[in-house]
Amino acid sequence: MSLKKQRLFWTALFLLMILASFIIPFTPLLSDLTSLYGAFLFWSVFAIIIIICLGLITAKWRNFDER
Amino acid sequence: MSASTIYLTLFLYFIVGTIIARYARRKMGTGVNDFFLAGRTLGGIVAALTYSATTYSAFMLIGLAGFTYIGGVGALGFELIYLSGLVLVAFFGPRFWLAGKRYNYLTPTELLGDRYRSRAVSTVTSIASILFLIPYSAVQLTGIGALLEGISGGTVPFMAGVFIAALIAVYWTWTGGLRAVAWTDSLQGAMMLIVATASVFFVVYRGFGGFGTMFAQLETEYPAWLTVPGPGFFNINAFVGLTLPWFFFSLSNPQVSQRLFMPRSLGQMRIMVMGFLIFGFIYTLVSIFWGFSARLLLPNLETADSATPALLSLDLIPSAISLLVMLGISAAAISTINSIILTLSSMITRDVVKNLGRKVDDKKELMVGRIFVPLFTAVILVFATLRLDLIAALSVASSAGLLVMVPALFGAFFWKRGTAAAVLVSCIFGGSAATIFQYTGYYPLGLWPGVWSALISTTLFIGVSLVTKPPLEKAEEFIGYLQEELNTNKIL
Repeated sequence: MSLKKQRLFWTALFLLMILASFIIPFTPLLSDLTSLYGAFLFWSVFAIIIIICLGLITAKWRNFDER
Repeated sequence: MSASTIYLTLFLYFIVGTIIARYARRKMGTGVNDFFLAGRTLGGIVAALTYSATTYSAFMLIGLAGFTYIGGVGALGFELIYLSGLVLVAFFGPRFWLAGKRYNYLTPTELLGDRYRSRAVSTVTSIASILFLIPYSAVQLTGIGALLEGISGGTVPFMAGVFIAALIAVYWTWTGGLRAVAWTDSLQGAMMLIVATASVFFVVYRGFGGFGTMFAQLETEYPAWLTVPGPGFFNINAFVGLTLPWFFFSLSNPQVSQRLFMPRSLGQMRIMVMGFLIFGFIYTLVSIFWGFSARLLLPNLETADSATPALLSLDLIPSAISLLVMLGISAAAISTINSIILTLSSMITRDVVKNLGRKVDDKKELMVGRIFVPLFTAVILVFATLRLDLIAALSVASSAGLLVMVPALFGAFFWKRGTAAAVLVSCIFGGSAATIFQYTGYYPLGLWPGVWSALISTTLFIGVSLVTKPPLEKAEEFIGYLQEELNTNKIL
């Protein structure tokens, strides 16, 4: 994938994920689920996915040091 | 907890930090870059710990635990969405770092001024940062004063706590500049995390028998606390109003964005970012567990902010650990204040005094910068003692107010059409709106000040840019250079 496409891909993915993190817990899907496996699990998994994505993106930062 | 125990603990803590700060001073070179940016040579782990300790203040174990106590799991969403704001660093981090090295920027506001070819831009954005961050720091000091007063049953007076915290922050900063701040932050950050995590295990296992039982009890006794809007505190407007400004914290707050200039390489910046994310994730969960535990064990507290101090006074945690948690919360506040003092000193020196027009060499600039370290501390101290309503309002408005710099930063790196006039108008009107709405409590259409400051500043930045003349030559050179470097190295 070209760098331009990668930038678009990650921007779109992050926008989607962040919008979802605001909206989904307030929808009946989760707002009625009075359990650990509701909003608590949703936001924890959301944060872990973000951390993994950032790990993938920043892996390339090491290229700069090896030049 | 007796006053003498608290004073002795703080004294020992001060001595350990002072040894570190003095050692840092021996490593310090001469010049402004060395004092304020540690010569752009920070290693990844120290950078991660100072980034974490600067970002996370006393708010976490006091305020966030309190939010959980009254509002439930929405507090977790608020704080984790804020943590996810680091996705912005994926794009802005390498750009800040590269531009900082090439143009020798000392402050994020200097970057804005140079990119938009306007001294007024760097001066106005610096003054706005100072106006919002001084009250924010003052509230940190009052937090320590209140915590020590509460935990000692009033035998440590409020003012004593405030003065001791200010003294510690200013002495370490003055002694060794950013290197001392970063190294003492590392100690403080590690302590904050370890002690808070250990103590939450004591609370949960001794109080409930384990995490499973705690959640089972929550599901039975306080089911609404596991949902949003849940008990009502986190209705959608409040949730967005609180969370939106904090999502942009990594860009809007100069004491944090200045740290993007500091790692010695991009590889080290990666360690900084990933280290911070892991730190933040654990520290957030710990703060939330404090809040849930207090909800179940102490259901009748008068104020939510007293959840953590009240838990500490129960018999669940050994007194030595309680003492360390008190120290950890104080460390969280001090490590935020000292970084802010240093950043504000660098901004007023580089973006205000130097812009007045007189020629200032490196040595003189450093001298002026160092003088502002105790001066800012004194101002913060005075604000902390005043306990005015406006200070509290400005502190709360700080995240919404500082948000107005974000459109200008997006423009600096990604939009050649952005202009200096647009930055000035968007920052002045957006910042004023945030302050007025926060102070008066008037929320038009039910939207919070942070949402309004984002809407106003973005609209004005785009609108005014389209009708004024951009510094195209600088924009082409600045963005062109970054694009070339990033593309060569296949970085986003």
